[in-house]
Amino acid sequence: MLKIKNLHASVADKSILRGINLEIKPGEVHAIMGPNGSGKSTLASVIAGKEDYEVTDGEIFFEGEDINEFAPEERAHKGVFLSFQYPVEIPGVSVTNFMKTAINETRKAKGLEDMPAKDMLKLIREKAELLEIDRKFLSRSLNEGFSGGEKKRNEIFQMAMLEPKLAILDETDSGLDIDALRIVANGVNKLKNKDNAVLLITHYQRLLDYIVPDYVHVLYKGKIVKSGTKELAHELEAKGYDWIKEEVNI
Amino acid sequence: MNKYTEDDLREELKTKEYEYGFYTDIESDTFPNGLNEDIVKAISIKKEEPQWMTDWRLEAFRTWKEMTEPDWANVNYKKPDFQGISYYSAPNKKPKYNSLDEVDPELLETFKKLGISLDEQKKLSGVAMDVVVDSVSVATTFKKTLGEKGIIFMSISEAIKEHPELVRKYIGTVVPQKDNFYAALNSAVFSDGSFCYIPKGVRCPMELSTYFRINQAGTGQFERTLVIADEGSYVSYLEGCTAPSRDENQLHAAVVELIALNDAEIKYSTVQNWYPGNAEGKGGVYNFVTKRGLCETNAKISWTQVETGSAVTWKYPSCILKGDNSVGEFYSIAVTNNFQQADTGTKMIHLGKNTKSTIISKGISAGKSQNSYRGLVKISPNADNARNFSQCDSLLMGNECGAHTFPYIEAKNKTARIEHEATTSKIGEDQIFYCNQRGINTEKAIALIVNGFSKDVLNKLPMEFAVEAQKLLEISLEGSVG
Amino acid sequence: MDLKEKLISSFWAFENHQDEDSYLHKIRTEAIKSFEDKGFPSKKEEAWKYTSLNSILKNDYSVFPKQENAIEYNDVKKYFIHDIDTYKIVFIDGKYSSHLSQTTHDGMDICLMSSALTKPKYRILIENYFNKIAQNDSLTSLNTAFSSEGAYIHIPKNKMVAKPIQIIHLSTGNESAIMLQPRNLIVVDENSHLQIIERHQSLTDNPVLTNSVTEIFVNKRAIVDYYKIQNDNTNASLIDNSYINQKQGSICSVHTFAFGGKLTRNNLNFYQQGERINSTLKGITIIGDKQHVDHNTLVHHTEPNCESHQDYKGVYGENSTGVFNGQILVDKKAQKTNAFQSNKNILISDKATINTKPQLEIFADDVKCSHGCTIGQLDESALFYLRSRGIPEKEAKALLMYAFSNNVLNSVQIPEIKNRINKIIANKLGVDIGFDL
Repeated sequence: MLKIKNLHASVADKSILRGINLEIKPGEVHAIMGPNGSGKSTLASVIAGKEDYEVTDGEIFFEGEDINEFAPEERAHKGVFLSFQYPVEIPGVSVTNFMKTAINETRKAKGLEDMPAKDMLKLIREKAELLEIDRKFLSRSLNEGFSGGEKKRNEIFQMAMLEPKLAILDETDSGLDIDALRIVANGVNKLKNKDNAVLLITHYQRLLDYIVPDYVHVLYKGKIVKSGTKELAHELEAKGYDWIKEEVNI
Repeated sequence: MNKYTEDDLREELKTKEYEYGFYTDIESDTFPNGLNEDIVKAISIKKEEPQWMTDWRLEAFRTWKEMTEPDWANVNYKKPDFQGISYYSAPNKKPKYNSLDEVDPELLETFKKLGISLDEQKKLSGVAMDVVVDSVSVATTFKKTLGEKGIIFMSISEAIKEHPELVRKYIGTVVPQKDNFYAALNSAVFSDGSFCYIPKGVRCPMELSTYFRINQAGTGQFERTLVIADEGSYVSYLEGCTAPSRDENQLHAAVVELIALNDAEIKYSTVQNWYPGNAEGKGGVYNFVTKRGLCETNAKISWTQVETGSAVTWKYPSCILKGDNSVGEFYSIAVTNNFQQADTGTKMIHLGKNTKSTIISKGISAGKSQNSYRGLVKISPNADNARNFSQCDSLLMGNECGAHTFPYIEAKNKTARIEHEATTSKIGEDQIFYCNQRGINTEKAIALIVNGFSKDVLNKLPMEFAVEAQKLLEISLEGSVG
Repeated sequence: MDLKEKLISSFWAFENHQDEDSYLHKIRTEAIKSFEDKGFPSKKEEAWKYTSLNSILKNDYSVFPKQENAIEYNDVKKYFIHDIDTYKIVFIDGKYSSHLSQTTHDGMDICLMSSALTKPKYRILIENYFNKIAQNDSLTSLNTAFSSEGAYIHIPKNKMVAKPIQIIHLSTGNESAIMLQPRNLIVVDENSHLQIIERHQSLTDNPVLTNSVTEIFVNKRAIVDYYKIQNDNTNASLIDNSYINQKQGSICSVHTFAFGGKLTRNNLNFYQQGERINSTLKGITIIGDKQHVDHNTLVHHTEPNCESHQDYKGVYGENSTGVFNGQILVDKKAQKTNAFQSNKNILISDKATINTKPQLEIFADDVKCSHGCTIGQLDESALFYLRSRGIPEKEAKALLMYAFSNNVLNSVQIPEIKNRINKIIANKLGVDIGFDL
């Protein structure tokens, strides 16, 4: 589904990603871990097409198509979803209005008619239940005044609504208490199937107890320096990142 | 990558045409250019006015002659030549219409283009409409239905003839003839406008609406609106404005007076879309308007405005909160693009005890435009427990425009509570990226964000107007919004 | 003869003694003409809409002090920040007092304007800096025409000035009414750091009108902290015109503590000329009686990536009037500007007035600018809470007023100034409690 080859990217002439290789197949859950500043969030943003980052070398294929020249919304239309580490506030635009716009724009891109209001409401109700989201919440301005947990839950709610092929969850566990973490993880697990894939980006192993990855990669200084199974995550939790740094530096 | 930048947006804005910029070829009766006492008298005679009205006009004219035209910071324009304007122009094919069937078909066509079908309006239950083209009221709908409730809704010329006692009692009581340069000019030469009276305890069952249009070249439009809500009554009044595209600047100097007697409420909404001039800043309407309302005890006046048109706008719909417990509100969206200049805001004069006022102003500047909020909140010594909350937000699109905020706050009572907040920002790139990531393209994202920014005010508009206002916002920032 | 005529004729009498071809003569004569054209400002001018000078212009001020007056340090010690070591530049009735002062030429110049204006060795600096940022509005022009004495401070680059400098203007009341026009020039070169305390104090109830102009140049990466303590007698009026020019990476803060005086007008103007500049303007105003305090601020952002912070708190009692007229101007080029302005006021009397006019004028799009302004009262529930804990009403109110304004003190770098301000506030509010909260 996603195939990244020798990806190099920089922001303001500062090189951050220095040769990433990664392949994610349908049905898989991958986790990318690494110390602060290793380039985890940059990788997520580059896949989603954030224009502040310049891809200096390498390729990103999504479903066999080179998406490097695609606008962020085109990538979204193709099924790439990024759950933001810091979701942005848009005053005056309700969650419902925003979702309606997002869904209909995606449908328009696929040559479909707008979703009938009745179906939309049904879908919203269904997915809100899944994420244990209160109805009142849906009429609030997007992310404005939301708590950290509400913002993250809202991100997963949007993911549920948009049903992406690839969901990239960037530090979705940060700022969540244990109940919120359970709800979010539960939502992700219920949405998971053999045709879609999840890329988890996290600093801690905690989330991986709830969403169990098939593969774990360690990102350090812009490169994947180690890959393994979920056991690697436990090892990192126990021993920290220093041993990896040493291993790499030697 | 096919990035849609603000530069693209600016480009699109430049090429946008004024949608209502057509001129209707109707035969009209236009006075020669220039202004003197004879012209003032002639207007009065033409309109078959009583002597007191002629005298009142002449008094205003004499005051005006002594006044000088004001200057404002951040507003630059070529001063109108007051002797180069014709002060009276009326469609002359049939000066009076007994029914819509008699209306000039060209004129009806005009309304169709404007999206106002008088026929349909007749059938729609919600709105009664008075239409003023150039200087004369051409059609008032629903007169009979309203009449059954004792509501008077007609052109002010008719009212001067049919209800002189009401007009004489109230005209100039809120905006005196000598109030300011343009109000004095208007008092001397106003040719028509709307008049509305809601009797005691009556809740007006429908929205009352006036549509103003400047059609003829080289004319000024000076309409005068007088709305009186008698004790315990309620009325919601809508006003819409358009003008054809012309190279020269046209002058619009209106006066609106609202009187809300004890326990009455007036909601006055404006969607102003006078021709703003072209992308090079040529032409466009000078909109110098005096709007003011007086609140007696427990009364409430609420001004809502969506200002997208005019080359230069100078307008401060105000509330004099004279009675105890009276309430004033001002909700405004002002959009400026290309070379437009807007200097708008409100004045809330707290005189009575326990008076409350709310000001929400949203300014959106694009192109090379300048958008200023200028407002006054005044708490007089006797206005115990007065409250005011003001919020002025500006959104900038492009780096050639300006957004300015000039609030004046004067408090002379220790029990006053006043809060004023103002912010200026641009649409964040992170907001756009967030929308993009959810599949929403940049153009749509900007529309969404602008609408969200304006929502507090859009929500205050009556339903019938909200849709039109939203459409206007989209047209005004077309290419980006829509 | 009214004051304007008197000033103009005095000017020509005084200027005749000067060298007519000199650089300064030209500046002064142009300035007096500018004043003559404009006259004293009136309420018709937008910038003076809320402040009338009429009541203070009526006195028959002597424009030049007739004699030199001496004062013993112990008699005026309380007007100094005396518990720390400082440089001092002291003037009595506009004349320099050498025995109260402590100046230096050791590696920097902390001395007198009169010598800077007359001695050749200062000539280049004077030509580069004197009257370069002062505007030609009527009152500044008037000061420029009469400029002869004041503080002259030049700190060369890379110098941390170890001691703060106090600039103190005392008036003895030996004249029945006196007008003072001090003129200060402060130049702080690259990477240097300077702290200044300024105070105007009259020692009797005879009327004093001070029209002061200070030009401050804060060069690259320099830091200047300026504290103005205004707690003068009720017949003393002050028009304080400060012009601050900041270069790249510099930091400048001005704190204005306005408690005293009959009429005080602070014209505080910041001109940013470079990137990454930080300007801070803060003030506490607590007045009563018929006092009038007007803060008129301008921050002009001309280059990208700069910041400004304004925070003014005011408490107005009795028949006093407060004015805040704050302007933030952001040029088209000044992208990424962060400019904040806050003005909060409490009215504690039926006869007090506050007029506030915070303005934003913004010509750049990528900026974060905001202003907030409130007028309110003391929180009744907080007052009740304090009283229920046994604090008497007067003290409780004083405590709340102090709490309302004290965040302005957080950025004061010299603890002794904080202590002094706390004492003045306690005194002003008529309570005997320490505010070392």
